[in-house]
Amino acid sequence: MATLFKTEGNKAFEAGNYEDAVSWYTRGISKDPTFVNLYTNRAMARFKLEAWEDCLNDCLQAIELKPQNFKAYFYLAQAQLNLKHPNEALSSASTAYEIGVSTADASTAKACELVLNAKRAKWETAERARLRQRNEMLRELEDAIEKAGFDQSHQTVNPFEIHEIEEATKQKVQELYSLFALADPANMQRRQVPDYMVDQISFAFMHDPVITKSGQSYERTTIEAHLKVSQTDPLTREPLSRAELRPNLALKQACTEFLESNGWAVDW
Amino acid sequence: MAGAFASRRLQRELPKLQATTSPGIKLVSATDLQEWLIDIQVMDSAHPLYAGQTYRLRFRFSGKYPIEAPEVMFIRATAASCWDQKPRSIPMHPHIYSNGIICLDLLDKAGWSPVQNVESVSMSLQSMLAGNYKNERPEGDEVFVRTNTQRPRDVNFEFHDDDC
Repeated sequence: MATLFKTEGNKAFEAGNYEDAVSWYTRGISKDPTFVNLYTNRAMARFKLEAWEDCLNDCLQAIELKPQNFKAYFYLAQAQLNLKHPNEALSSASTAYEIGVSTADASTAKACELVLNAKRAKWETAERARLRQRNEMLRELEDAIEKAGFDQSHQTVNPFEIHEIEEATKQKVQELYSLFALADPANMQRRQVPDYMVDQISFAFMHDPVITKSGQSYERTTIEAHLKVSQTDPLTREPLSRAELRPNLALKQACTEFLESNGWAVDW
Repeated sequence: MAGAFASRRLQRELPKLQATTSPGIKLVSATDLQEWLIDIQVMDSAHPLYAGQTYRLRFRFSGKYPIEAPEVMFIRATAASCWDQKPRSIPMHPHIYSNGIICLDLLDKAGWSPVQNVESVSMSLQSMLAGNYKNERPEGDEVFVRTNTQRPRDVNFEFHDDDC
């Protein structure tokens, strides 16, 4: 019976009637509350409806019923991203990616992309907080300097003196801004991604680099896509199999650390 | 149709190609992420075959680029359609058919590598021309040009010699 509701729900989903799909899946769940796929399917329909909270709850239910659930973690991460919970999203996306790698799921590359998006979202949140804080302090100091100038200029009626005071105030504000810029070198650095952190197949920033016999590192999902077509090392053309790839842990760590202070690099 | 994977890679390749400093390689058009045109020149000004000539390459990308090789061939163009008001012809070369199809292992399924890119392929073709002094077409050119109905990438060339 529950399977029947699932089939009806899937039909509605295919047709783009996501609300109908949700109600079919809900009816299925009331028949069989342990049917995992009904939760993940309803999560997908609710995702389409942008009902993030509901989508998130479905994913959590599905994970409770089946812990190694790629789809559930994948949608959970996206719901969390939309709910502006980047830390949780990163953890869910990483879990999805790990499950994807161990089960050779066809959507692993998408999970990898999601991990990077979560890292960028995490950086954006931190960056926003940092800028707000800095700007607040900057604004306070700027106000104080301008007020001092204003008070000073009111003690005289000489237009030349007033002009001089105004110029001095402007100068001070400019100095203040350059001082803040100096104190924040990260903000002045040229934004450049080191080549060794970029996958030479997709040209994308790497999340899970693996190294080949020739010493070159690639993003796991892209080199695996290549190996499906041709079991050769892209650089040397020597035979290369999936089993010969090794994780490049040091580079992975370097990429992760780089993103923590340079989240923009995800879409350089 | 370029897929998401191909689109992203091409979007990242484009600015590099636009800023390229490789002499004799010029991006002519890349209005979409499916077909790009590149002009190449042999930089040897004393070359008996190609000195002073510009040739036009057409790259076509599938959704699986760069896992799958791009389809690359030389194309003709009228003088009026070119930025330098000079026509483009198909270069004479023992591995280039008169319809522009190129016999190069790099562009073949088995010879392609995803670390290649538009610029590196253009450079390979540039040096393939630069190293040739034979003013001839491949064997069987007439028959091939008359009978071939396959897309360049589906033609199974037998590579007769090492540098093909």
